[in-house]
Amino acid sequence: MKRKAFWGIFLFVISAILLVGCSGGTSTGETTDNGQKETDKTTDNGQVDKTLTIAVGSDMVSFDIHNHNNTSTEAVHVNMFNYLFKKDASGNIINELVEEYEIIDDLTVEMKLREGVTFHNGDPLTSEDVKFTLERVAKDDKLKEYPNYKQIKEVQVIDELTFRVVTHAPEPSLFHRLSRLGSGILPKNYIEANGFDHFLANPIGTGPYQFKEWVRDDHITLVPFENYYNGKVEEWDEVVFRVIPENSTRVSELLTGGVDIAVNIPPADWDRVNSNEGTAIVQEVSNRVIMLIMRATEGLPTADVRVRQALDYAIDDGTLADIVLKGGAVPTKTMVGPGNFGDNPDLYNTFNYDVEKAKALLAEAGYADGFEMTLQAPRGRYLQDAEVAEMIAGMLAAVNVKVNVEFLEWSNFVEMRNANENKEAYLLGLGNSMFDGAYSVDWYRAERMAGHTDYKNDRIEELLAASASNMNPEEREKQIQEISAIAAEEVPFIKLYQEKINIGVSDKIDFAPTSDEMINAASIKRK
Amino acid sequence: MGKYLIRRLLQVIPVLFIISFVVFCLVFVAGDPVALMLPEDASQEDIEQLRESLGLNEPFHIQYFTYMVGLVQLDFGDSFRYNQSALPIVLERLPATLELAAAAMIIAIIIAIPFGIWSATKKNSPVDFLATGGSVLWKAMPNFWLGIMLILLFSVTLGWFPVSGRGTLSHLVLPAITLGTGIAAEMTRLIRSSMLEILNQDYIRTAKSKGIRNFFVVNKHAFRNALIPVVTITALQTSTLVGGTLVTETVFSWPGLGQLLIQAVNTRDMAIVQASVFVIAFIVILMNLLADILYKILDPRIKY
Repeated sequence: MKRKAFWGIFLFVISAILLVGCSGGTSTGETTDNGQKETDKTTDNGQVDKTLTIAVGSDMVSFDIHNHNNTSTEAVHVNMFNYLFKKDASGNIINELVEEYEIIDDLTVEMKLREGVTFHNGDPLTSEDVKFTLERVAKDDKLKEYPNYKQIKEVQVIDELTFRVVTHAPEPSLFHRLSRLGSGILPKNYIEANGFDHFLANPIGTGPYQFKEWVRDDHITLVPFENYYNGKVEEWDEVVFRVIPENSTRVSELLTGGVDIAVNIPPADWDRVNSNEGTAIVQEVSNRVIMLIMRATEGLPTADVRVRQALDYAIDDGTLADIVLKGGAVPTKTMVGPGNFGDNPDLYNTFNYDVEKAKALLAEAGYADGFEMTLQAPRGRYLQDAEVAEMIAGMLAAVNVKVNVEFLEWSNFVEMRNANENKEAYLLGLGNSMFDGAYSVDWYRAERMAGHTDYKNDRIEELLAASASNMNPEEREKQIQEISAIAAEEVPFIKLYQEKINIGVSDKIDFAPTSDEMINAASIKRK
Repeated sequence: MGKYLIRRLLQVIPVLFIISFVVFCLVFVAGDPVALMLPEDASQEDIEQLRESLGLNEPFHIQYFTYMVGLVQLDFGDSFRYNQSALPIVLERLPATLELAAAAMIIAIIIAIPFGIWSATKKNSPVDFLATGGSVLWKAMPNFWLGIMLILLFSVTLGWFPVSGRGTLSHLVLPAITLGTGIAAEMTRLIRSSMLEILNQDYIRTAKSKGIRNFFVVNKHAFRNALIPVVTITALQTSTLVGGTLVTETVFSWPGLGQLLIQAVNTRDMAIVQASVFVIAFIVILMNLLADILYKILDPRIKY
């Protein structure tokens, strides 16, 4: 009897082991149907595996290029759609689908498309496609990208390849708008013939890669477009974006060779990635500046410019960047970093730190014994955000300013901002997908900040009004630089540092991240 | 039985309506999704404009009425994030979650039944201590921790299984073990206590005194009677698994309902949250009904 019971259990155990054993056997030596592959980029039969696998933290949301507002979605789109203009590695705007253009007057730019560009279904790219695309996003206020394109009044078709973009008012940032997120060109005929839902399920563009498959929250697969206007990309036969939300899982996939690139690696895992044979962390400065938004409302200590300056001098941005972020940031005194129109190099990679001066400024402002203030901060939104907020509280304690740090979950944080319930300071990161400094310095506009920070500077107001419609780039650049210089002096926001993008990369590939956080598979090479 | 089934199925309708009302209220109270849909640099004017276009500035009763009109047609509205109808997106994820839940349940049963019976028949033996102690240990381990540890050991160090994703059977092993062992721990304890109670019954003693072999006494006479609480817990756990694989799905990048729901809650994608909860609630009700039917099969004395 005992023997039979024993055999019963034995059978259970054996069947469990068999189940596990059989499963284990399928995991090696082959490319699975969801695009995963072995560590070695050579397959069993000796052929080179030309699949590029990229691990991203969140899934793309849609193939509607005008309705997502999401960098990781755009990182996929840029492989399938082309913009009219694009930015080169130094941030200069260069032609992409447009071959040449001419500025007719302050409201009109005439552009001519490249010849021979076709969509993935073979339809040629024409001016009608541009009209359809730009007028869609410029007129439909339900689209999330509408605020960034509503400046466009209409697109006039001149001939098959020539068209004019007409704006409501002089629009100095037009070229920046046309070379960023949501600027891809859609296929008019294809969408009108099949409907937009069909397009969303079977998207086509003019880019180097075309759509193969999307399994939501799992992976997106792209394959090279044979008739790409710039020549078929031979480097990769397949590009797979895998969705891996958990940081440690993404790192593990990179370490085991499951993916070639893993985005957003947190500082805690950098050593693991760097010490592993065959992987390394590569960094590039992003276009996001982390800062403290100061409330200058009458009655608060932070309304006094000397107090804001004192707090700026009391915070050691260098320690935040080098120690708390382990070198994953560059200290700055401006929101307009390198690569942006109107950047001011004197204000970048530098910071104010002088505790004695901070104490003196506080004494001068009548706060020799310090004061108490609240710092609101999100947790988990930005790299080491909670640690940074706590460290700032510690630094300010050294000048007798008692900081109560109030951590808010992101959605509550957003609500706090929208309801103007911000206290003396809150921690925020602001990016600039336009790469035009005008977009950043607009945050100092008194009307925009009324009831929020209540900061106002008459000279800044003048410069903002002048630069908004200034079609002379040299003058406009100087105006933006002057605004940044005033803001560095008056500190309506205490700029802390510009965050870096941290990407784990296999040493079998050559990949250099860009500050716009896009992943252009065509520019990634095998070593 | 037939009448009972019809009555139970009809009860599903008001229950689902109550659940949908509660979910609607909770999502409404949780706040406005528009601010989360736009980036940090969006102006107040942009936020207001989008809110108006999406009808989110309407008062509660109007929004609820619109929602109910859609609901009776099984239309939960469009997902804000995906800009597509919510229910198909939710149903698209269901197979992945059901696959994981079924695998986890199989692992749980394979572990729990032999260990539960064994520890009950060998009460206070080392086997019993191992089974009961092990149960406490497995139950105490949080899923996210166990999942990460399994990845580190079996994927990173030993390289036996893929780290994450869904595709082949090997992708299923680690997430199913992560989920299944916790349930196995609970089931082992339950089977053990249920078996201990039954092994002390008079009819077991009678069976033994008639000279029936111990193997049959334990596995036929006792085990079948010990199954009723096990069926209850299995049904409840299966329904919990469908809605409760959130953490495991996220750790293993398993493209199921749990991961979808977490993202929907984070982005306040109301339509997805409502459709997911509706589908999960329906499965829970269905599993409970199934458990009741199984009682009847296991114990013919039960009458409905």
